[in-house]
Amino acid sequence: MVADSGAASGPKPSSSVKLVLLGEAAVGKSSLVMRFVNNDFQENKEPTIGAAFLTQKCNLPTRTIKFEIWDTAGQERFASLAPMYYRNAQAALVVYDITKAASLTKAQHWVAELQRQASPGIVIALVGNKSDLAASPNNSGSSSSGGSGGALSDASTAGDDGDAASSTAVGDGDDGDEDEEGEGGDARKVATKVAKAYADEEGLLFFETSAKTGLNVAEVFTAIANAIPETSLKGPRGVGGQTHLGGGRQEDAARVNLTGGRDAAGPKEGCAC
Amino acid sequence: METLNDTDWDVLIVGTGLKQSLLALALSRSGKRVLHIDKNHYYGGAEAAFSLQEAEDWLKKVAEDIILNQTYTNISILQPSQEHSGTDASKLSFSRAYNLSLSPQIIYARSSLLPILVSSKVHRQLDFLAVGSWWVYSAKDGPNDTPGSEPSADRANSSQGKLVKVPSGREDIFADPSLDFKAKRALVKFLRFIVEFEDQPEVWEEHREKPFPVFLSEQFNFPAALQDPVISLTLSPSVPSRITTEFALRRIARHLRSIGMFGPGFGSVVPKWGGLSEISQVACRAGAVGGAVYVLGKGLVNPESINAPKYRPTGDTQKPSELKAYLQDGEAITTRWIVGLRNDLEPFYAQQHSNLEKHPDPGNSSTVCKSITIVSSALEPLFPALAEGAPQPAGAVVVFPSGSLALGEGSDQGEEIPPVYLLIHSGDTGECPTGQSVLYASVALGNERGFVLLEQAVKLLLRAINTEPTSTILWSLRYKQHTRIRPHWQSVSRENPSTSRQILEFSPSPPDLAFDDSTLDEVKESWQKILGDEAGEFMVFDDREGMGTDLDDNE
Ligand SMILES: Nc1nc2c(ncn2[C@@H]2O[C@H](COP(=O)(O)OP(=O)(O)OP(=O)(O)O)[C@@H](O)[C@H]2O)c(=O)[nH]1
Ligand SMILES: [Mg+2]
Repeated sequence: MVADSGAASGPKPSSSVKLVLLGEAAVGKSSLVMRFVNNDFQENKEPTIGAAFLTQKCNLPTRTIKFEIWDTAGQERFASLAPMYYRNAQAALVVYDITKAASLTKAQHWVAELQRQASPGIVIALVGNKSDLAASPNNSGSSSSGGSGGALSDASTAGDDGDAASSTAVGDGDDGDEDEEGEGGDARKVATKVAKAYADEEGLLFFETSAKTGLNVAEVFTAIANAIPETSLKGPRGVGGQTHLGGGRQEDAARVNLTGGRDAAGPKEGCAC
Repeated sequence: METLNDTDWDVLIVGTGLKQSLLALALSRSGKRVLHIDKNHYYGGAEAAFSLQEAEDWLKKVAEDIILNQTYTNISILQPSQEHSGTDASKLSFSRAYNLSLSPQIIYARSSLLPILVSSKVHRQLDFLAVGSWWVYSAKDGPNDTPGSEPSADRANSSQGKLVKVPSGREDIFADPSLDFKAKRALVKFLRFIVEFEDQPEVWEEHREKPFPVFLSEQFNFPAALQDPVISLTLSPSVPSRITTEFALRRIARHLRSIGMFGPGFGSVVPKWGGLSEISQVACRAGAVGGAVYVLGKGLVNPESINAPKYRPTGDTQKPSELKAYLQDGEAITTRWIVGLRNDLEPFYAQQHSNLEKHPDPGNSSTVCKSITIVSSALEPLFPALAEGAPQPAGAVVVFPSGSLALGEGSDQGEEIPPVYLLIHSGDTGECPTGQSVLYASVALGNERGFVLLEQAVKLLLRAINTEPTSTILWSLRYKQHTRIRPHWQSVSRENPSTSRQILEFSPSPPDLAFDDSTLDEVKESWQKILGDEAGEFMVFDDREGMGTDLDDNE
């Protein structure tokens, strides 16, 4: 009976983070999620209908974050879906395609809407995807730490533009780059500098990624995980120093489990008045 | 933005309240083409949750609306000026720090809603929190003590009422020093009976219509002091003399049988982030994942009001099974089914029968006064730890029994005053910042005196809990909720007989304090009608492809 909640998952505290992906159609939102969750990529991915839900864990040195990812459809026809996904979301990934200037404009609209409507503490990352289509060496992902979280620790390289040092590809990232599309020239339409300047101004995390090669994909999620304020992961009463029964993680101290731990004795014994 | 004009659908769901959203969830795997619209720019309909700003907007919107039979009226917001500069908790936070619920209902552990949320897999996106202790307010010196008078500092305890915890277990009863032996025996005897009262008709059946207090004293020798706590478990809005024995027994049994289901010491839960509104949204998300199209800010209209060509059912351009509906902005769509609340369907009826608007509503209407109050304290004494291994409670119930409050002069002498219920939500619910609480109060009175009672109850509650520093009211909202009562929700098939079968009308949600399972019957019935033979098991879905298998709740 004692401390049955959460204790089994080991010494590391773990918490869930609700994350929503927003951005114009075909910028690669679903591809980023697929790379992150399954380490996989599809050349011709079909557009998302409505939305999709996936989960993935992210292990940090001191804690485990379970991302609950809502991948929305960029082709959203009536702009009515996003509000129910970013409601109570702790993180948002706003994606544009570095080969389509208009997609950055759309991304900026999303950022503005999030700042106006979403939870005030939401961590927003601006992500320029399809960096594999840009001519090297400008295809590096550069990241910067912006406002909210502040402590971006290891994941952010705070790079100057064009600094190629941070390109730690993830997974099979070494087998895909510099081929067909990359060859002929540079398809890049959005300069890293421009997007980064905007991100800095708005206090957003910033990365250039490639769902195709895997470049920087895990880094985005790790940076978000690191930027989520500790207080918003703990149960809201954590600050008050109140001791809880069960000793598990704060989040679980209040949560009721609907599927497990059903008291076999049922209401007849003990509890039921 | 694309236009909906001339689009064709299987089902048009109007409004994103709980029932409509659960229907969207139920249809989410059916392959039906679902268009789900709401005239509001937010989700949740009559069960929405609001930030402070959204609450202000809602107030203005409702005041401007001139539709008949509104669910909510007489809305007002009170924000006392804040003079002091104390801690964060002592000040009203920013607008979006709040998710104030129009539907803070508790959900009993045995409610059929919970298994449905589990079998449809959407429970994973919901957090449920325990509703812990139940308290009954007792005005020490009886109801005629003037509750409005200021207690002097050192006499505080004698001039204020106190909150008595309703025992939640046999041990509680025996440990309670305020109960004498006789009282304990009566209580235990009653509890033993009620666990299986259905099997003992000889004890209660001939008294089923009798007032419950009479039954308690006649059959169980219940001391008067114990009646209020037991009656409070019925959550009945009526004065005790109007609560029948059968009703009370069912309600109390529901309460007691739920305790211990999901952990020791509690029997009901609330969803995090704004009550039933959160369940609506999670259900809509599932609908969207299933391909339903969502459009906010768009309701049905009567085409005449927008000068659109009026559709005549006699026209032969249309297949008999098609309904034509007009949306705001004049778009016309066709659909096989239309589902929604009566209020939302009204324009559609008007389009077919232009006189209908003037018809009086067939049902009676009942009105309750409600208020939502944000206070500057966590009110921790109301949330004692429940038991070892139990979750930290985030909700509490406080009942001001009938007779514990008095309306000053001007009120009819001898008139019985119905009980006032307060659902207290802590910051854990995500409805307010840590260190504050939200008080949802209601009383079954339709006139302004209802508001007076609510205000009184909130004040007395804050006074009865001596917190340091004293809790103050940071913000409050009050409104009246009207529910039209109808014998059966689908008995209004007086429309065009050839198409009326395809119009499914939901009844408005009752102003109950606990989630009413009959809500689900309506959803299920309409789901069955729409799917016919294709209907499988209600709300039982497999995991979707691509969902992690590591989603175990127990990790
Ligand atoms: N070269 C390259 N192509 C990519 C990359 N990411 C995605 N794509 C391709 O871009 C197309 C669109 O990708 P999706 O992941 O479906 O885009 P989306 O943002 O989810 O689109 P919607 O669901 O319609 O909003 C697909 O054909 C992908 O294969 C990338 O990093 N590099
Ligand atoms: Mg997609």
